[in-house]
Amino acid sequence: MTLQIELNGVNKFYGAYHALKDINLAIEKGTFVALVGPSGCGKSTLLRSLAGLEKITTGEMKIAGERMNDVPPRKRDIAMVFQSYALYPHMTVEQNLTYSLRMRGVKKAEARKAAQEVAATTGLTQLMHRYPRELSGGQRQRVAMSRAIIRHPKAFLFDEPLSNLDAALRVHMRKEIRALHDRLHATSVYVTHDQIEAMTMADHVVVMRDGVIEQQGRPLDLYDRPANRFVAGFIGSPAMNFIPAVVGEGGAHAVLDFGTTRARLALGDLVAPGLTATVGIRPEHMTIVPEGEGSFDIPVGIVESTGSATYIASATRPELTVVETVRGGVRPGDIVGLAVDPMHLHLFDTEGKRIEVEKARSDADASLRRQLAGATSEQVPV
Amino acid sequence: MKKIIFSVTDGRGFDIGLVLLPLAFLFVLSGLPLVYNVVMSFQEVDMFSLGSFVRPFVGFKNYVDLFAQPETQPILLNTALFVSASIAGQFIIGFGLALFFWMNFPGASWLRGLFLVSWIMPGLVVGAIWNWILSGDFGVLNFFLRETGVIAGNIFWRSDPNYSLWAVIIANIWLGTSFNMILLSVGLSAIPKDLYEAAELDGATALQRFFTITLPMMRSTIGAIIALGLIFTLQQFDLFAGITSGGPNNSSNVTQYWAWDLSFRQYDFAKGATISVIMIVLVMLASVVYVRSTRHEVRG
Repeated sequence: MTLQIELNGVNKFYGAYHALKDINLAIEKGTFVALVGPSGCGKSTLLRSLAGLEKITTGEMKIAGERMNDVPPRKRDIAMVFQSYALYPHMTVEQNLTYSLRMRGVKKAEARKAAQEVAATTGLTQLMHRYPRELSGGQRQRVAMSRAIIRHPKAFLFDEPLSNLDAALRVHMRKEIRALHDRLHATSVYVTHDQIEAMTMADHVVVMRDGVIEQQGRPLDLYDRPANRFVAGFIGSPAMNFIPAVVGEGGAHAVLDFGTTRARLALGDLVAPGLTATVGIRPEHMTIVPEGEGSFDIPVGIVESTGSATYIASATRPELTVVETVRGGVRPGDIVGLAVDPMHLHLFDTEGKRIEVEKARSDADASLRRQLAGATSEQVPV
Repeated sequence: MKKIIFSVTDGRGFDIGLVLLPLAFLFVLSGLPLVYNVVMSFQEVDMFSLGSFVRPFVGFKNYVDLFAQPETQPILLNTALFVSASIAGQFIIGFGLALFFWMNFPGASWLRGLFLVSWIMPGLVVGAIWNWILSGDFGVLNFFLRETGVIAGNIFWRSDPNYSLWAVIIANIWLGTSFNMILLSVGLSAIPKDLYEAAELDGATALQRFFTITLPMMRSTIGAIIALGLIFTLQQFDLFAGITSGGPNNSSNVTQYWAWDLSFRQYDFAKGATISVIMIVLVMLASVVYVRSTRHEVRG
C-alpha cells in the first residue's frame, strides 16, 4: 500500500493561537479517514490545510508523494465537498459538474459526456438543466459530490457534508458516500463532529481536541481501548460513565466514590492498590438486576424509552446511564442492582490517561491474585 | 357607522389609509407635475397663457418643431455621449476601486468611507472645484498633463468646443465613482467566500474566477448600477450650470440643461416640456431595467 497523504509535524498558528499542534498522519491510498472532534478542535483547519485553503506554519505535507506545502489549491488535484455545498448558484447542474473540466480546457462535448456519466451514477440525469436553487437539500448534496467525482482527484475532502440534511437522509447518504468511496477506490478525508458518522463510515478514525490528535486507529479499537478519558467519553453513544475511585487493598477491586455513598466493584485484573483512578463503564456493559444481586445497588432517577432501548439514569452523583434492551420493570425511585462486566471496565489515571491493566498489576503478587481470584464484590455501606 | 370607524382604527380601513396617504402625496407632488408637463408639451404656451390650464391644443407640433431645430441633433448626441462616457467611467473606476478595497488591507473600510465625500458634495461646489482644476491658464490638470508630456500646450477645457463636454464628463465621473464603488462593494461582499474556494479547488485561476464567479454573481448589481447611473446622469444639471453653462455654442449642452434653458431663459415653456417628456420616457425605460435587475437576484 502506498501513502496518499502524509503529514509530518504539522503546526498551524493564527497569530498567537496554536490551531494545529504537531499533527502526524499517514493515510494509505484507498482509505476512508474520519477526522472527528468537538467544534474548535482543529479538524476543519486540518482539512482546509490539506486543500491548501489554509497555509500550514511548520511541518511537511505530502500528497501522493509530492511536497504540497507551497502548492496552490488549484494545483493540488484535490476535490472538496463543502458543508454549504458551495454550488455555483448561477450555473445549471450540468455547468456545475463540468466547471472544473472547463477550467482545464477540456472540450465541451467531452465535458458534457463526462457529466452525463457521473450524473447517471448519482441519479442526477433528470436534473441536469436545473439551477441549484430549484433542488432539494439531498439533491444539492448529490451535485456537490458529483462535482468532486467528475475530476478523479487524488483525494476527496468532505467538510461535514451531511450536517444540513435531516436525520433520515443523513443515514442514507452515509451509506451512499461510503459505497461511492469503495466503488471509486478513492482516498477520502471526512470531517465530522458526529462520532457515529465517523464510526460507521471510516476505516481509520482520528479523534482531535484543541488542535491535538488524541488518538487514531480503527473505529472499534477506539471503542474498545480508548487512549484517554476524552476519547472514551467522545466515542460511543450514550457516552461512557465515569466514576472517581480508589483501587482497594489487594488491587482486585475499586472503591467507587458516589459522594455520599461508596460502592465496591471487582476489577477484571489486579491493579496497584491505593491508586486514585477514574473508572469508565459504558452504558451497554451494565445490566439491571434485582436489588443486592449485582455489583452494587443504585437508586433509579429517570427512565427514558425509545422503544428499542431504555435508558435508565441513576439518582447518584455522578449519574450513571444504563442501556437496557428489555423494557419495563424499572421505575424512578426503585432501588436496583447493577451487574457490571469486569472485562469491559476502563481505568484512567488522574491525568485522564488509560491505565493498561496488564502493566499496572506488577505490584500485586501471584499468591494474592490466586487468593482473590474467586472474590466477589459486595456492598460497602458508608 | 360604528363599523366604519372600527375598520379605520383597527382593520382593513387602516391598511387602506396607510396606502392611500403616500399615494396621495406622490400624486400631488410627482404625478400632477408630470401630467401637467405632458399636457403642456401638446399645447401652445407663451408668457400670457402661462397662468391658465386651458391653452390651444397643437398636437405634435412642438415635437415636430423641436426636431426641425438645427441644435437638436447635436444636443441629443451630446447627451448620449455624456451619459455613456460618464457611466462607463464611473463604473470602470468604481469597480476597480471596489475590487481594490475588497482585498481588505488595514484601513480599507476607513479609506472606502472617505471616498464617499465626493458623492455627498453638492454639484455646484464640485463644479466650482473642477473649474479651478480645469482652468486653461493655471489649472492643475493642464500642469500634470504638460509636465508628463501628454500635451504640448495648454488645453482650454471649458472654452474649447472640442473639450467642453469632456470637462463636465470628467467632473461627473469624479462625482459618481464613489457611489458606484459603494454599491459594487456591497455586491462583492454578498458573494459567498466558499464559492471562490470551490472554484479554486476546481482549478480556476484568479482571472477565471473573476469571469466565471464574480461577474455573473454581480449581474443584478451591475444591472441596477447601470440603470441608476443612467437616471442620475440624465438628472445631472448642477455641473453644467457650474462649469460650462452648456457652451460654448451648445458644444457642451445636453437635454436636461437645454430643457431648463428653453423654459426659464427663453420662456419657450412648450419646447422645454417637450424635451422633458422625451427624457421621462428614457428614464422610465431605465427604471424598468433597474426594477427587473433587482428582482432577478441570483443568490444561492
